[in-house]
Amino acid sequence: MTGRAATGRSLGLLSCLDCHLTIRDAKAPHMRCPRCHASLHERKPHSLGLTTALLILAAVLYVPANLLPVMDTNTPFDDESDTIMSGVLVLLHSGSWPIAALVFIASIVVPLLKILALAVLTYSAWAGSPSGRLQRSQLYRVLEYIGRWSMLDIYAISLLATLVQVQSFASVIVGWGAWAFGAVVVLTLLATQTFDERLLWDAHT
Amino acid sequence: MPLVMLCPACDLAHRRSPAPAFARTRCVRCRKPLQVARNTTIDTAIALAACASVLMFLANAYPLVAMHVNGASRQTTLIGAALGLYEQHDKTLAVLVFLTIFVAPLLHVATLLYVLVPLWIGRRAYGQNFVIRLITRVRPWSFTEVFLLGTVVALVRLAKFAHVVPGVALWSCVLLMLCLSAMSNRTSSDQLWQWVGRGPR
Repeated sequence: MTGRAATGRSLGLLSCLDCHLTIRDAKAPHMRCPRCHASLHERKPHSLGLTTALLILAAVLYVPANLLPVMDTNTPFDDESDTIMSGVLVLLHSGSWPIAALVFIASIVVPLLKILALAVLTYSAWAGSPSGRLQRSQLYRVLEYIGRWSMLDIYAISLLATLVQVQSFASVIVGWGAWAFGAVVVLTLLATQTFDERLLWDAHT
Repeated sequence: MPLVMLCPACDLAHRRSPAPAFARTRCVRCRKPLQVARNTTIDTAIALAACASVLMFLANAYPLVAMHVNGASRQTTLIGAALGLYEQHDKTLAVLVFLTIFVAPLLHVATLLYVLVPLWIGRRAYGQNFVIRLITRVRPWSFTEVFLLGTVVALVRLAKFAHVVPGVALWSCVLLMLCLSAMSNRTSSDQLWQWVGRGPR
């Protein structure tokens, strides 16, 4: 990156956050996009504050999401409580290690990685760090892409809870862990959406 | 069409090339794809959306999976998975599941058809621009492909102690997933606005 790049900000242009139309002289407050009628902002409004708030909430809920049982299985022989991790172990012991690895990555690694990576991105955008911007930008795009796969366990649990309601044989009841886990996934998805990638590039341009 | 376009990811200004791009172009600074190939016609998008709505009907009308154990059997449909949670008084999760596997995909396809069919016959849908904005907002909340993988995980866990039979809806869901992703790839927000720009104002 040499010299000053011609950005929308330096040229007095902005692009609509919704439809990407390039707009000149949109200085008036509460102006709307002439094409899609979305309200115009140079950057996503309150991006860093919102992302931080959502991330803190997600990080707090990540603890009960992993410690509390996501489902309780009741059979005539015994009652079992499964957390996300013990669910992974059940899959591993039943011999399907590819599925176990998939659930482990989607439910435990991805949410944690997402919270940590977004925290790093938010901090570096706030500090205006100039190094490795391309890598950070690409990291953000990876997060955008993989984040949705964490919902996998929610769907698996909801199907199990619906199907396994056999009278006097077995029943599955959804636990509080599943609620916390669902909240973590939705909060991190929202945090990714509120983060504005352009903030990574704004400093020194 | 303005001559300057800004990269949506890093705000760098680019001169828009007067010739239509037939390949994907990327931002020179942050490598974000800027212009998509323009070889999609509105007909293809409508065909995919129509196909998706048929598959969506099948996916919801037939059972998703059936389970047989000890002479008893149970089956569920796609919406049944959300209703099962609702009956267990886990309403928040039930609403989340219902919105992401039923409402969002349905709304996505319906709004696309609502905008594209009038454009195809050279008209303009009422509230078109607002609806296009809605499409781009709804798209990230449609989780059909993730749901499918979740179903596979659930089936693997059940297969240990019950006989599970995949139903018509499961296979419809597989096709629906392919159809939806093909449809989404061809109807990016930029592509939609391009079709709008060509039609009557």
